[in-house]
Amino acid sequence: MAASISGYTFSSVCYHSANSNSDHEGFLLGDVRQEETVSISDTQISTAELLQIVEIHNHDPCAQLFSFYDYAGKVSEENLNSILKDRRKKVIGWYRFRRNTQQQMSFREQIIHKQLTQLLGVPDLVFLLFSFISTANSSTHALEYVLFRPNRRYNQRITLSIPNLGNTSQQEYKISSVPNTSLNYAKVVKEHGAEFFDKDGVMKDIRTIFQVYSALQDKVQAVCVEVEQSERVKEKFQEDVNKLKQQIALRKRKTAEEKRLREVQNADSRSTPEENTEPPEASLLSRITFHAPSAPERPSTSPNPPSYTDLLSQDDSLLSSSSPPTSAALLPRPQAVGSPGHPTPGPLGMGLAMGLGLSLGTSPNPVTTPSTPYLGNGDGSSSDSLDRQAAGQEDDDDDEDDEDDDEEDEDSSEYENLVSETTHLQMVSASVLVPGRPAALSPDGDARGSQTT
Amino acid sequence: MNNMSPEVALHRISPELRPLLCNVVRNGRVGLDSTNCLRVTDLKTGCTSLTLGPCCDRFKLHIPYAGETLKWDIIFNARYPELPPDFIFGDDAEFLPEPSELPHLVQWDAGKSECLLQLVKELLQQYHQYQCQRLRESSRLLFEYDSLLEDSSYHHNMEVYAGRKNSWTGEFSARFLLKLPVDFSNIPVYLLKDTALDPGEDVALLSVSFEDAEATQVFPKLYLSPSIEHALGGSSALHIPAFPSGGCLIDYVPQVCQLLTNKVQYVIQGYHKRREYIAAFLSHFGMGVVEYDAEGFTKLTLMIMWKDFCFLVHVDLPLYFPRDQPTLTFQSVYHFTNSGQLYSQVQKSYPYSPRWDGNEMAKRAKAYFKTFIPQFQEGAFANGKL
Repeated sequence: MAASISGYTFSSVCYHSANSNSDHEGFLLGDVRQEETVSISDTQISTAELLQIVEIHNHDPCAQLFSFYDYAGKVSEENLNSILKDRRKKVIGWYRFRRNTQQQMSFREQIIHKQLTQLLGVPDLVFLLFSFISTANSSTHALEYVLFRPNRRYNQRITLSIPNLGNTSQQEYKISSVPNTSLNYAKVVKEHGAEFFDKDGVMKDIRTIFQVYSALQDKVQAVCVEVEQSERVKEKFQEDVNKLKQQIALRKRKTAEEKRLREVQNADSRSTPEENTEPPEASLLSRITFHAPSAPERPSTSPNPPSYTDLLSQDDSLLSSSSPPTSAALLPRPQAVGSPGHPTPGPLGMGLAMGLGLSLGTSPNPVTTPSTPYLGNGDGSSSDSLDRQAAGQEDDDDDEDDEDDDEEDEDSSEYENLVSETTHLQMVSASVLVPGRPAALSPDGDARGSQTT
Repeated sequence: MNNMSPEVALHRISPELRPLLCNVVRNGRVGLDSTNCLRVTDLKTGCTSLTLGPCCDRFKLHIPYAGETLKWDIIFNARYPELPPDFIFGDDAEFLPEPSELPHLVQWDAGKSECLLQLVKELLQQYHQYQCQRLRESSRLLFEYDSLLEDSSYHHNMEVYAGRKNSWTGEFSARFLLKLPVDFSNIPVYLLKDTALDPGEDVALLSVSFEDAEATQVFPKLYLSPSIEHALGGSSALHIPAFPSGGCLIDYVPQVCQLLTNKVQYVIQGYHKRREYIAAFLSHFGMGVVEYDAEGFTKLTLMIMWKDFCFLVHVDLPLYFPRDQPTLTFQSVYHFTNSGQLYSQVQKSYPYSPRWDGNEMAKRAKAYFKTFIPQFQEGAFANGKL
């Protein structure tokens, strides 16, 4: 047997009880129904389980004690009828509230219960006992409740469940099967129901919401198509951009080569012993420049940043310009070949990729540069800067020769930087020179070899 | 909360209910064991916690019954003090008295202070019947009960407690508490006077515990009210025989009764005998009597002069005189021992017979004195110092 009571009925009983200054009693109204559960499992055909469920819908408190029984505990049917009136049929039990007592049926309660069972004709009449226990200093009060079915010999206590009273984080909010028996409620629902429910009994709001949902779904689908198209267009643009970039790079390399050749010729005419160290670098560098185009086999659409060597070659052209490499020249400039003697150390404190040229000398013609000076972002910003500088470079070509000496002094400082970093270059170039060598895994799993900084 | 003194309980209970509880606590002697009065514990209230006290209206009542203590909850309502109480019978959940046989419940009158006490007594009677009904589970014990019931001396002086069946072994046990029909009225008053507390009724209770339904393990125990126990010479003085195996209560109980009666008679006789003895000595020694116990007649002191030698004789009469011989202590009035006490000699064996009457004993004692005194005198002069 199981029993359930709706939350509002339970709280109403508690309210009545807690507010009374003595013991309190009343009747429980509701229904008893039988549930049959048929379970089929692999091991057995079927088992039917009959469960009797007592549902407490309402309660009817008595105004005072001894209202339907006398001192001897004899129940007066007349008084009972006057209290219950037409609700008599709905009575499924009765309850009693007493403070600071044991959870056990008392002498009089047992006597009354027997008589009520007979008079009301309910064989399994239940008895709900509330007891309120307070600690001595009134700091803690406990309301305890036990549901009895005293007419049985064994298993007299039944669990009373209150739907949605418990740990709701682990359970869903349940809609109780206990119906709302209020007449007023039924009337109002009938009167105003049409505003909320359509002819099928489904709430109108639900339909509306569903419509909104469908519309949104359609829009999303449409947007998806548009996105796809724009992505394709963008892809195409990216291809074009990459192609153009390649062309620019090629052109620059060519001009740089020509310039270098000219300088080499000039340098040969004033050659010194110290220069013996340089040609290998020059050849190295020229080798770098030579091999640079072939090394990176980039797919046109790939957004990979250009390899380090590419950047190096690009910077050659940058360094040749009179404009100080404030922005784009964040990379070492390998062009300090052929500078006379050791360059005076300049106030260079920056690393390889960090504003190397920013500390070099003064800049008579500062070139406005983008805030992101990194080359090879792949998003075009670097190409912007390159374009600009390329333009500047072409303009300033005429001035270059005049300012060579000046530049070389400046460059000499750069050269020192370069000397200190040639080892790095050599490492890089070594990797470039042998493009075919696959990345070798070090024992700890890091890929070494052809890596770009 | 527990072991609450009656005054504390009365102070905490709601004023309208106080007279009822007062009667229970002060006059509450129910059942055979009236030496233990009713106790009240666990006073609680049925009013809200905001109600100012005293407003307690429910409590636990401890009732001695058949060697057990019943703990019944009594529930009133302080807001409606005119209403009769409700009861919870503790562990005896199956005990359900018939309300029609509780006249003080049916006609409950809160104005009568003894109403609650009377109701408790009626409930206890019903409880007794309920326990006797439970004896039906064992035919042997039922037989015991029925046989006692037939004897009018025990019929109304019996409490039965049928213990709970041991669920493991299925054993059933019971205890019979019987009030023994022994007349204690003739016991001399002086013997009963020494107890500090109010001795209450003089009663002897025999408790017989049957630990199994077949009566193979039976443990009898005799309980005497304190004054009787003292009068008979303490708890060690009285040993009751063991329950004979295969025997039954209807034979055993009269045995114990007889034993007790004999003892009481003996004590009474002893008292009279002692009185007689002292009287005889008084008449024989006349002015020589220094002092004597005029209540219990247990002591007598004489001063005797023989050939200008004075000495004292202390006579101590034992409880079971004349069976036991009185002790004579001779004491010199001149001589001291090293410890500063008067020199004395104790004589426990001298010519004596319990069959002599008081007069004869006095004459014989006199004769003995004459023979013993020279010896004593010599001893006193030799061992004592002046």
